[in-house]
Amino acid sequence: MSDKYDLKEMADKIASLKKTAEDLADLGEDFPALYRNTRRILAGIRMLELNISDIAE
Amino acid sequence: MWKKQKYWNPVMETLSHDKIRDLQLRKFRKIFEWSYERSKFHRALYDKAGIRPHEIRSFEDIRRIPTVEKSMMRDIQRKDPFPYGDALCVPLDEVAEFRQTSGTTGQPVYQADTWQDWEWWSECWSYILWAQEYRPTDRVFLPFGYNVFVAFWAGHYAVERIGAEIVPGGVLDTQARILKIQELRCTAMMATPTYVLGMADTARRMGIDPASLGIRKITCAGEPGASIPTTKKRMQDAWGARVYDHAGATEIGAWCFECSAQSGGLHVNEAFFLVEIQDVETGEYIEEPGRRGKMIITALDRQAQPCIRFDSKDIIEWSNEPCPCGRTFRSITGGVVGRADDITKVKGVLLSPSAIEEVVRGIDGLGDEFEVIVDKDGDIDRITLKVEILKGREGERKQIEAKLKDQLRLKTNLGYILEFHDFGKLPRYDVKAKRFKDLRKH
Repeated sequence: MSDKYDLKEMADKIASLKKTAEDLADLGEDFPALYRNTRRILAGIRMLELNISDIAE
Repeated sequence: MWKKQKYWNPVMETLSHDKIRDLQLRKFRKIFEWSYERSKFHRALYDKAGIRPHEIRSFEDIRRIPTVEKSMMRDIQRKDPFPYGDALCVPLDEVAEFRQTSGTTGQPVYQADTWQDWEWWSECWSYILWAQEYRPTDRVFLPFGYNVFVAFWAGHYAVERIGAEIVPGGVLDTQARILKIQELRCTAMMATPTYVLGMADTARRMGIDPASLGIRKITCAGEPGASIPTTKKRMQDAWGARVYDHAGATEIGAWCFECSAQSGGLHVNEAFFLVEIQDVETGEYIEEPGRRGKMIITALDRQAQPCIRFDSKDIIEWSNEPCPCGRTFRSITGGVVGRADDITKVKGVLLSPSAIEEVVRGIDGLGDEFEVIVDKDGDIDRITLKVEILKGREGERKQIEAKLKDQLRLKTNLGYILEFHDFGKLPRYDVKAKRFKDLRKH
């Protein structure tokens, strides 16, 4: 089943998404609406890592 | 189209066993190191056992790590930081969710979760719901008290996550819940087996056939009933629905589930949990199918209050058969078949309350409720079984009694004092039932 999916490409995009979210969180140190919403997005990105990135290694 | 995909995660759920084991080992090392670095409790426990994170290289190494029991959590939670104690691995201001255990076996244990942990909970549940064929077209009714107990909370969020519609039936009584299901034409629901049967009973008393309500899937938790064939059949017959089991716990997470193939076993979500089975008498680890033992479980991704080698006391056994659904996650036969601290010796014979439930629910003419009381007559153990006879079946009492006696003797090897009560006279329960009472002083 795993041959059907390009896990490497998915994992790369997830890593990129995570980097963007982390950078955005860094901009929100004094901006609760930005910081907290980005932290929640990062928790969601972690679920992508558990489902995809962990097995693309 | 993703909605037609059979698996929630088509790669993870069909990985080879070797790859799953490799993933589990990698993840175990991470969560072990995470806990060792961040929690005073875990560091002290592992230092005392002489085990450091870098020494964990194999599953054999994992077995050297001390287990954690619920009673230890109660001691931990007397320490700082309040109210979780020193097993906490994150600063208090990162804790987003509080839940507590039901306290069935003593003082409740508090559970801290970060937002990421909470996402993880509902991710675990998404595997369950998708495997049980919940889809975005479903309207799911949740008849539970939304409160401090974890119950179906994560199921609620998983319904949202998979794209289906949730109807929170919290502060409604049973009649109002039934009317709401009818009004909204709900297609699925989640509840304890006790409540599923109780709701059916209430619906009938309202003059409503529960099978007419349109519920086609029911996911159970909290009690073993949905894996006890006779109880499952009663629920399915009453509602005209497929009834699925799953198992989870506040301190662990939602760790196993029945899939739509319903082949008699529950899949362990081996991507997120490491399950070990240990012989209760010898402590030997059991790898082979068909041999029962107690479960030692690790939640591989839970961070705020990690669950590492938790001695759950649940009795399980590995299944021998691959599941026709194609999932490679191993299965446990018949779900959680008992608890190490529930199985008690009566007259020198091991007795599991589930075995009595299976007999009672398998006899036509008896109601769903029953009660078992174990006490002593002088020095001799005595078991009293109270059952209800259905209305209109009183004339068959002798035949029912004879059948009940035979089946009890066959399934449990014990004799009982049988008490027959009119229908509706035994206590009813809304959530977890307490039908087994051991009054002996040990």
